[in-house]
Amino acid sequence: MTKKIIIFMIISILFLFITGCWNRRELNELAISVGEGIDKEEDLYKVSTQIVIPGQIESKTAGPSFGAPVELFTATEDTVFEGVREITRESPRKLYHSHLRVLVIGEALAREGISDVLDFVSRDHEFRTDFYIVIAKDTSAENVLSILTSIEKIPANNMISSLETSEEVWAPTTAVTLDELIKMLVTEGKNPVLTGIMIQGDPSIGGTTQNLEKIPPSTHLRYSEMAVFKKDKLVGWLDRDQSKGYNFIMDNINNTVTDVSCPKEGKFNFEIIQSKTNMEAKMEKNTPKVDIIIQSEGNVGEVKCNIDLSKQKTIEELEKRIEDNISNTVKETIKAVQEDFSVDIFGFGDAMHRSDTKAWNKLKEDWNETHFADLDVQVQADIKIRRLGKIGNSIIPEIKE
Amino acid sequence: MLLENIRAMREIKKGEAMRRRIQKLIKKKTKDLNSKTLDQKQKKSIISSLEESIKHLNETLGNSDDFVVRKISVGKEEDINIGIFYIEGLVDTERVSDFIIEPLMFDFQEDESIHSKQDLLTVIKDSTIAVGDIQDVSDYESLVSSLASGYVIILVDGFTKGFTIGLTNENYRNVTEPSQETVVRGPKEGFTETLRTNTALIRRKINSPNLRIETRKIGEVTQTQVSIMFIKGIVNEKVLEEVRARLSKINIDGLLESNYIEELIQDKTFSPFPTIYNTERPDVVSACLLEGRVAILVNGTPFVLVVPSLFIQFFQAAEDHYQRWDFSTFIRFLRIACFFITLLAPSLFIAITTYHQEMIPTPLLISLAAQREGVPFPAFVEALLMEITFEILREGGIRMPKAVGQAISIVGTLVIGTAAVEAGFISAAMVIIVAITAIASFVIPAHNMSISIRLIRFLFMGLAASFGLFGITAAFIGLILHLCSIRSFGIPYMSPFGPFNVPDQKDSLFRLPLWRLSTRPRLVNQQNINREQSPSPKPPSKK
Repeated sequence: MTKKIIIFMIISILFLFITGCWNRRELNELAISVGEGIDKEEDLYKVSTQIVIPGQIESKTAGPSFGAPVELFTATEDTVFEGVREITRESPRKLYHSHLRVLVIGEALAREGISDVLDFVSRDHEFRTDFYIVIAKDTSAENVLSILTSIEKIPANNMISSLETSEEVWAPTTAVTLDELIKMLVTEGKNPVLTGIMIQGDPSIGGTTQNLEKIPPSTHLRYSEMAVFKKDKLVGWLDRDQSKGYNFIMDNINNTVTDVSCPKEGKFNFEIIQSKTNMEAKMEKNTPKVDIIIQSEGNVGEVKCNIDLSKQKTIEELEKRIEDNISNTVKETIKAVQEDFSVDIFGFGDAMHRSDTKAWNKLKEDWNETHFADLDVQVQADIKIRRLGKIGNSIIPEIKE
Repeated sequence: MLLENIRAMREIKKGEAMRRRIQKLIKKKTKDLNSKTLDQKQKKSIISSLEESIKHLNETLGNSDDFVVRKISVGKEEDINIGIFYIEGLVDTERVSDFIIEPLMFDFQEDESIHSKQDLLTVIKDSTIAVGDIQDVSDYESLVSSLASGYVIILVDGFTKGFTIGLTNENYRNVTEPSQETVVRGPKEGFTETLRTNTALIRRKINSPNLRIETRKIGEVTQTQVSIMFIKGIVNEKVLEEVRARLSKINIDGLLESNYIEELIQDKTFSPFPTIYNTERPDVVSACLLEGRVAILVNGTPFVLVVPSLFIQFFQAAEDHYQRWDFSTFIRFLRIACFFITLLAPSLFIAITTYHQEMIPTPLLISLAAQREGVPFPAFVEALLMEITFEILREGGIRMPKAVGQAISIVGTLVIGTAAVEAGFISAAMVIIVAITAIASFVIPAHNMSISIRLIRFLFMGLAASFGLFGITAAFIGLILHLCSIRSFGIPYMSPFGPFNVPDQKDSLFRLPLWRLSTRPRLVNQQNINREQSPSPKPPSKK
């Protein structure tokens, strides 16, 4: 008995040594990649990766530190995977992708198709599925990743924070993660939409710490409108209002501001604080039909005209105008997409598939080209004004008198 | 040829083995014989001649310096020779002269009631010596053992009988506040080194005639008094029988502390976990006795053993019952949390930072990575260094004289806290982990439990460094299996959790209000399960 125990103990102690800790990596052996960019150069993929320099970020002394907080490595190879490994020829440490925050895809590559790239990032065990994917508009992903930012020291963090915040309170962007993108790609009757990112200013200055020394940085990153994809290929861009309209249809509005004209002259703003969109697709007389019902609640945000907000009638009038405004935006968005791209990015086909599978099976063959382009979409908005803000009527008319 | 040689060799070997066995047997027999003769010698009844007895005693005790022989001659004609024997230091000499020598010399002088020689002993015992504890003794063995344990012996010339008189020197350490288990609220008395004082401290708390004490002597040489205390009618008889049986099996020459007994009677020897609870507090022992447990007191140590003891008992403190139940419950959960922190904090840190970096939120990872830049050791070595440094400091702090202890703690704080980090040997995060582990280990009220957890922690760290979270998970499952396999005097160690017992939950992890603690622990107590029937306090109803 005792002999057995001793043998067991010896074996287990030996186990500790023979394993050799094969995948052990200390924290200071990791090259933490927070942003990755993929471009296409002729037939090759150019992989750029933004590596955090921890020492620069966690400097104990307050104030700006000298030296960039991140480092960018690039490699051009036949495949993305080879590119990632090729980087080790420059980088002293092996890339660690689990903390990737954002994947930037160059516009040129996006126009050719992104599915080749997605296979590697969804297959490799180190990549999570919760990083955002954006498209570098009018520039390369490498350039986007080489712009320094100052509030968030890590540019990739700056990118995702800005994306999340703008989606949350303004809604012209949409934050799409890898798993959401793949889901959009594989769903019948739906096509993906990604947000674009642009460089404003000179990219060559943006990559130096000089960029951080001025109050208005010479170069900064800015989210543009949304990119429309036909399956995995980029086909065009929406403008800002269309992007908002897209988010309305996708029930992706948390908080945004709309701009509505007053009954007489002037304008007023309405802040949406809660919104819910229902989409329903059905067959009517052998033609597909989609109903969109938007229910929103919000506050009066800004008044620049002479209206009496203390009267119930005025509020009702305003609600009517907001309803018209929002349904017009949505209708125009749909119309533009139907005319310009003929790509069902809203998932009307998916809704049809779910509500009437038999009909969908007949329609799906030429859904985008024929049926989607001529689709009859009814939009209905239901708006409730809940609060007027801190003051009642606008002070503007009183100043004029 | 070769074969034959081998065979011959084998036979020779066989023969030798036999010879050895026989020798062993012979040795054992002679040993037995020796001890038997020794017994006979000591069992010898007292010789009537006083001079002979003195000679015999001096021989037995080897003319010890502290062995005092006082011979007095009393009676009208000073014809009665009385010998008084005691060991100096064990006996209160002042009282010996006041209550034994003085009455014998003066009161006895005038006594007319002695008619025959037979009356003499009765008179001495019944009307002369003014001491409560007086007993007859008729053989040298018990005489000598009484002498050694601090009794005064009186022998009268011409009689084969004497008396042992209890006048032990009670000039020991006073009852003071226990150094280990201090409380904010609750009794501030602790056991001392004297068995009698300790039993009295318990008796003062439990004034029931059912509180029983059984005393026996253990230790061939030291002859240490060991008492079993229990409350008849409440105690689990099976456990009591088991305690008696296990104690009687002990055959050791010396017994200096209760740990000797603990190690000799515990259920599982190859386990880091203590299966016998020890305490310095009479109130804790009383509470355990009231739950039906058995206490083992050893003369010479303030630490009293309590059996059977369960895993959860080591996370309960006396104070849990002296303060509000809701707070006590919170504190108990805190202790369990500290148990996990002590056990797992360093190993989880090692596993996560070396294998599972994806589990750390990105900003934290960058912060940790920044701290680790330039640290020359792997996380495991770093943790091991710090943990061992801490253990050294802790041990050093205990052994150092109190005045130097301060210096140790200052050096420790400087060395661990500041210098090591600033020099870049150790990352700041590791210092935090080691510090929280150390502090958490002191939250566990039972010192012996916290030591064992500290020990297992190193195993966990090693596994975490080689296998990551898989190692920790495997070790944790093993730990739970081990804990569930232990028994303390037949009671499953992990009860009331495994086996799960609903009524016993009320005072294990939770501490329900006192009016809800109506029954004693079911597994400990097999009879007389009901403890109280107090109703819950209610405000007077409105009329």
